[in-house]
Amino acid sequence: MSDQIMTIHLKIWKQNDPGSSGKLVDYTMDDVNPDMSFLEMLDWLNERLMNEGKEPIEFDHDCREGICGSCNLVLNGMAHGPEPGTAVCQLHMRKYKDGDTIVVEPWRAKAFPIIKDLVVDRYAFDRIMAAGGYVSVNTGAPADANALPVNKYDADLAFDYAACIGCGACVAACPNSSASLFTGAKVSQLAHLPQGTPERKRRVVKMVDKMAEEGFGDCSNYAECEAVCPAEISITAIAEMRREYAKALSEIV
Amino acid sequence: MSKTATFLNSQVGRKIATGVTGIGLVLFIIVHLIGNLAYFGGPEAINTYSYTLHQMGPLLWVVRLGLLAFFLYHVWLGFSIWLGRRRARPESYEVYASRGWPSRQSWSSSSMILTGVLLLLFVITHLNTFAFHDFQTAVINGVEMHDVHARLTEVFQSPLYTIYYVIIMVLLGMHLRHGVWSAFQSLGWMSRNTNPIIYSVAFVLALIIAIGFIGLPISIYFGLV
Repeated sequence: MSDQIMTIHLKIWKQNDPGSSGKLVDYTMDDVNPDMSFLEMLDWLNERLMNEGKEPIEFDHDCREGICGSCNLVLNGMAHGPEPGTAVCQLHMRKYKDGDTIVVEPWRAKAFPIIKDLVVDRYAFDRIMAAGGYVSVNTGAPADANALPVNKYDADLAFDYAACIGCGACVAACPNSSASLFTGAKVSQLAHLPQGTPERKRRVVKMVDKMAEEGFGDCSNYAECEAVCPAEISITAIAEMRREYAKALSEIV
Repeated sequence: MSKTATFLNSQVGRKIATGVTGIGLVLFIIVHLIGNLAYFGGPEAINTYSYTLHQMGPLLWVVRLGLLAFFLYHVWLGFSIWLGRRRARPESYEVYASRGWPSRQSWSSSSMILTGVLLLLFVITHLNTFAFHDFQTAVINGVEMHDVHARLTEVFQSPLYTIYYVIIMVLLGMHLRHGVWSAFQSLGWMSRNTNPIIYSVAFVLALIIAIGFIGLPISIYFGLV
């Protein structure tokens, strides 16, 4: 435990509602414990604001252990902050230095409209999933675990892609606001599994089309998405999605 | 819309088309570079090379028109993707930074539209300087042909033109540094293991092409050949 208390200067995006224009507001925290997570520091700031009778800063959070995909802050221009493979809820203040200034912004993309302050609407991801990111079978009792053989190579890859928590950092960090890494991970995960095989062609066509329809941009292979992904999903997922799409010509209408 | 049109208009189809046209243009550039190197073989070598190409007749026109189509489609896709950026993020970040590797955001990938536009302008002036030029004729082994050797020697006497050409070739190298790797990724020819290899190979290829094209004007200007 470090007992050295830090001073952190924050510039946080404040925006009342989707229609109004927002701006960065300055806050200074002079009693930051280095062992606080970034979100705990925001809690601390909000406590103070509420005690002063002011409105707290809205931000999304839930599990605070890097698996739910709720937290979504851009810190000094990097989605989820500077640490690789880390969601912002798992980022600790000891990674910063005393006196640092941190600019805090929401995900910015047309497909992720701002609801308030740092909270954005990410239903566009749900609609991409609803377009084809599922397996249509009526399940009965759980099948025996060994009844359906999956080779280790495919099982490992599917598992890597399944690590996607749907946070949207890939879109936030992409200079083009492309959702290719998210969609690629979902398409490729199912394409590697026997359960996903029967519908693989229809799935990739529908999900890729939905992604464009929601207003996400084109991919330019910058690979910034892989660099910010808290689940460290490789852009190989995007290459696989393109292979899947090319093979699905028969399903294109 | 037909199936092909739907495919080509999809986000994946646009990337595949950018990659295919890009690879086609790179193959042309490699052939062009090898052709240029014939200059080092003396007037006979490069003039005969040019003459042989012109003897190909209809096939030459198929290649020319194909190249033009690839070039225009590649340019259109590039502009279209670049214009889409603002639409997909109407309000930009107050502060934006790259997280670094494995991100491929670099001086090369971030300037694709700029290097692309400059290359487009260069190609127009380049055709004007060479392809549409009224060549002198040389007679080699009793055959009358364009004296490409004389034209090249003349053009690269000018320091201004030589500097311009060298700068553009550096930009070409920059464009290919991201472009070649990106084409492989766009066509889905990539796995987790091959990805870093192809990224490195693309760098080497871009370097070889840029140095190859710079070699000729520098050699002519400084009278090394």
